[in-house]
Amino acid sequence: MESFFAIGLIIGKLAVVIAILLVLPIPLTWIERKIAGHIQQRLGPMRVGWHGLLQPLADGIKLLTKEDHIPTEADRFLFTLAPIIALVPPFLVFVAIPIGDSVTIFGTEITLYLADMNVGLLYILAVAGIEVYGVIFAGWASNSKYAVLGSLRTCAQMISYEIPMGFSVIGVVMLAHSMSLLDIVEAQAGLWNVVYQPLGFFVFFVAGLAEAQRIPFDLPEAEGDLCAGYHTEYSGIRFSFFMISEYLIVVFLSALIVLLFFGGWHGILIPLPPVVWFLLKLSFFIWVFMWLRFTFPRYRYDQLMSIGWKVLLPLSLANILISGIFML
Amino acid sequence: MVAKVARKVSGWIGWAFFLDLLDGLSLTLSYMFSKTITERYPDDEKWIPFPRYRGHHFLKSNAEGKTNCVACELCSRICPCRCITVVPHEDEDGERHPQVFEIDLGRCLFCGLCEDACPADAIALGRHYEFCDHDSKTLVVGRDALMAMPGKVERGGEVVAARLSTEVGVTVTATGDGEGVDWWRHIRRR
Repeated sequence: MESFFAIGLIIGKLAVVIAILLVLPIPLTWIERKIAGHIQQRLGPMRVGWHGLLQPLADGIKLLTKEDHIPTEADRFLFTLAPIIALVPPFLVFVAIPIGDSVTIFGTEITLYLADMNVGLLYILAVAGIEVYGVIFAGWASNSKYAVLGSLRTCAQMISYEIPMGFSVIGVVMLAHSMSLLDIVEAQAGLWNVVYQPLGFFVFFVAGLAEAQRIPFDLPEAEGDLCAGYHTEYSGIRFSFFMISEYLIVVFLSALIVLLFFGGWHGILIPLPPVVWFLLKLSFFIWVFMWLRFTFPRYRYDQLMSIGWKVLLPLSLANILISGIFML
Repeated sequence: MVAKVARKVSGWIGWAFFLDLLDGLSLTLSYMFSKTITERYPDDEKWIPFPRYRGHHFLKSNAEGKTNCVACELCSRICPCRCITVVPHEDEDGERHPQVFEIDLGRCLFCGLCEDACPADAIALGRHYEFCDHDSKTLVVGRDALMAMPGKVERGGEVVAARLSTEVGVTVTATGDGEGVDWWRHIRRR
């Protein structure tokens, strides 16, 4: 009986997480378009529903009813596989992301995470790396110049930026003596890691922008010079898979920034429920990601590479060194 | 403010702490929370054009309600598109007036030469600008319809509240007391 209840609880939580993650891109596209509009002194979507709230739904219906086109020259197997490979890792990552410690509902204690792995951080970084394969397959299978160029750029960019990203979290792991995200958050109960690790945070943030392929590092899908990059040939529901994956990666990176550097669900000054604190910080960082997107122009490709290898990598190594000296 | 600081400590310190990036971010942040300048045209607002605007033609009428037009056909002569048809006749009072006065709006290029040529101050181009149609025949407007058209505006250059209606055709009618707002009010000029 006990084990049945536990399994039921896990399945229930799983269903809730999947449902939330599938629905999340809908408000996010609306918010992004609103932010874009207001930065440019426009209003953004206004006509479908109150202040355009139903616009993402209309767009979703449009995407679902569009022709699902596969080019004749394309590799059909990889072409159909790529969106799924791009979509699955963001979902897998959220297994290890806690949104709070635990809450007690009706006398039972429910933990607000699906799995507390002792290698949680390693798992997240590893699984998030798989998403690149979706992008590379998409570009390769499309058999189109733009898509191949886009996916080649992604390949190079992802590999360059995964390294400083991985190095920048080592400082956090050293402070918490653990790779479990719960322990990392508990270690920040007194003071947030961003105070101890400003350099680590900076490197992680910039590398995260590049990992999420957001402006100013959105070279894989540069509209101006590459059409749309790796998803040039995709349409309809397959294209929307890439979109969903992109938005989920933004959410996941914001969650990771909050967990690693901004104290997770620990609040300051104002006593709010821990989950509310976590969601507030999460939405703040999602907003920052969108704000950056509509502020900066895109970096040139050689600049992107030199930032990755000549600036971020030495900085992250220096961060490990400094943290190590202080730990001694 | 950030811009001033950035200029002061330009060079290595500014470069190392990305002050120029912060400058850009502060600019977009201030724009994010500033008033939008979008004119919500068909739904809520409508543009009232300036007096110089050349829209739909109208025929001016005198105190007795008759048209000023004396059917001299000068407008028809000067029209570069030959879109004005005037047929004169003499009414009971012995005055010369147009029996037929038709403008083919589908051919008109809204140059305003008819307005310049008119010796009797009868024809002019007014404020109305929403008259597209699916049928080119309905774009041929007769004398009485021209006399009923709205004239020029007094001030213009304003945005007024309006309402979109799709019941009979598509119309955007101005609502409220006609007090408009300056469209430029939220636009920053440096």
